[in-house]
Amino acid sequence: MTLINLGMILFKIAFILCAVSTAGYLLSLLIKKIKLAKMSTWILSAAFCFLTINLLFSVINSSGMFNLGSRDFLSLCAWSVSGVYLALQFKTKTRSLGAFISPVIFLFMIAAAGQQAGKILLPANLQSWLTAAHVFLTITGESLFILASCAGAMFIIQNGLLKNKKLSKMSRLLPSLNDLDRINYICLLWGFPVLSVGVLAGMVFAEFSWQAGWLTDPKIIWTFAGWIIYGSLLHQRLAIGWRGYRMALVSCAAFILLFLSYGSVRFCFSTLHNFI
Amino acid sequence: MIVLVGLNHKTASIAVREKIFAGCQQEKDILARLRSLNGVGEVLYLSTCNRIEIIASVEEHGKAVIALRDFVAASGGVTPNEAACCFYEYRNEEAVRHIFRVASSLDSMVMGETQVLGQVKDAYRQALAQYATGVVLNRLMHCSFRAAKRVRTETAIAVNPVSVSYAAVELAKKIFGSLDGKKILLIGAGEMAELTGMHLISNGAESIIVANRTLAQAGLLAEKFHGEAVSLDSLDAKLIEADIVISSTGAPDFIVTADILKSIHHRRKNRLLFLIDIAMPRDIEPSASSLENVYLYNIDDLQDIVDENMNVRRKEAVRAEMIVEEEVTRYINWQKELESVPTIISLRSKTEEIIKAEMEKAVGWMQNFNKEDQERIDNLVNSIVNKVLHSPVAVLKEESAEFSSRDIVDAVRRLFRLDG
Repeated sequence: MTLINLGMILFKIAFILCAVSTAGYLLSLLIKKIKLAKMSTWILSAAFCFLTINLLFSVINSSGMFNLGSRDFLSLCAWSVSGVYLALQFKTKTRSLGAFISPVIFLFMIAAAGQQAGKILLPANLQSWLTAAHVFLTITGESLFILASCAGAMFIIQNGLLKNKKLSKMSRLLPSLNDLDRINYICLLWGFPVLSVGVLAGMVFAEFSWQAGWLTDPKIIWTFAGWIIYGSLLHQRLAIGWRGYRMALVSCAAFILLFLSYGSVRFCFSTLHNFI
Repeated sequence: MIVLVGLNHKTASIAVREKIFAGCQQEKDILARLRSLNGVGEVLYLSTCNRIEIIASVEEHGKAVIALRDFVAASGGVTPNEAACCFYEYRNEEAVRHIFRVASSLDSMVMGETQVLGQVKDAYRQALAQYATGVVLNRLMHCSFRAAKRVRTETAIAVNPVSVSYAAVELAKKIFGSLDGKKILLIGAGEMAELTGMHLISNGAESIIVANRTLAQAGLLAEKFHGEAVSLDSLDAKLIEADIVISSTGAPDFIVTADILKSIHHRRKNRLLFLIDIAMPRDIEPSASSLENVYLYNIDDLQDIVDENMNVRRKEAVRAEMIVEEEVTRYINWQKELESVPTIISLRSKTEEIIKAEMEKAVGWMQNFNKEDQERIDNLVNSIVNKVLHSPVAVLKEESAEFSSRDIVDAVRRLFRLDG
């Protein structure tokens, strides 16, 4: 059995495990049982392990420099979000966060499954360790922002429940406001520098590879916009002392804005990143 | 036979309960004295804040119950006539069900409270230490602990708080997660505020500041918590420090207004603020609730949460009763099995005696055989007898687990003339 075939099997197992854990998380929210969310966390951890091995196979299998397939790229997104979530989850024990983040992970997996296996993503002239660092760090940074926004969304829900003076089952299932605010803060604090280094790696590579014209590329402009938005959010938090509800609201709004902008750039404009 | 004699908050006034409680406390070696009563075998004495109960394994129901009741009544100086209307008594299945319900907190004043199981365990520990229990009560108590554990883990009967102060603690945890390092500001020195503050401190809150119109009274309360006492003039400054504010003054106007909170919002660095207003008339302006990161609950809001939680407990109690019923059936089945045990033992010893006697008679002619053949004959006899006995013993065990085994036990005893 070749490594590609083995990788395919591992991807399929990870896909099924992701589907099961997403269903488990959502069901736990529906029937308000934390035990189910705990089980789903372990299932997601297993999916993460399979995905890790799958990605390792892809790296070993690729000839020469870092050479991602389009499926691997989306798997890497799912892997990164789940990795960041699991790391945070084991630290903060806020399992219900999974109900919000696992659908995002599963969506990445569906998108990855829709891609042709083995199709090379990056043109040969873009394959270098700098693009590898750029891809890896940017995805990790974005994953942290996704998590910050999910925590923000949960904060808004919990805040609404507590303001309405209802200590419902849902409220009991969701983490405390303080914990959610802390997750939002940790994700911003780590996400921003990681994204910054990722963007910087991309910039250095672009300067050497494309030399001119890349600064006006729509995707790069939006990436800068996102970088500035998250940077200003972190600034507001650290310098001005924004926290709690306002921070949650702005994080969510920033995420929705960047998500929509990514979609519009992806489908409406021609960019230097068209291969993604 | 198991009997239970006792009195609780539903059957006896606090005055009677107090007298009996004090009387029983003064009795030296109460368990030994109870065991010395006529017909009482095993015994356990349970005393909680609102009940006194004696559980005993007795030979005969009537006399033993009267003896137990009169003993407890006499200890408290209550006349038998007075005692007759205060005491309840249960026997066998009813007694088992009652003690299971008590241990599971289904019979408590506040249904689902967790303290009672500890008290039942303590009572059992004492009885064990004094060798007052035997096979029947030991099994009964272990089964009651299992029933209580199942009720707690399989139902949500003890999950949600049913007192205003605990509801406040739960809310604080939903806002802050951990209460470690949180500062509490008590405005006014009311009893309810003090109790809530105490619960918050025992759940990890760091310190208490007491603000009161009269500094001396604030000082008295602050001393209890090793906290800080301030006058109402420095309230604004203390609101900046506080994370949880409990207000219970008798002031006719609002003491904490939305404007005050708005003005200190920045200096508080937008930290989350939990306001509990248990004063009547209210101390905190209701519109403060709409401020960002401010969570205001008044006494009615807290009471609504408590009522809702109580409803949940009532619903869960139906499931809890079913669990208790399952455990009662399990225990009763075991007890019925126990009824057939002496008969099985008698049957076996009688057959052994017969074999022994017949083998002794056969010693003369068996001498002609060698030792090996003698052993073979011995084994053959035992094997035949065991096979013959297998069915009656199995039926005795099976029948006793299903329904009352008394008839079949009687039949076996008569058929095999076990009673001589």
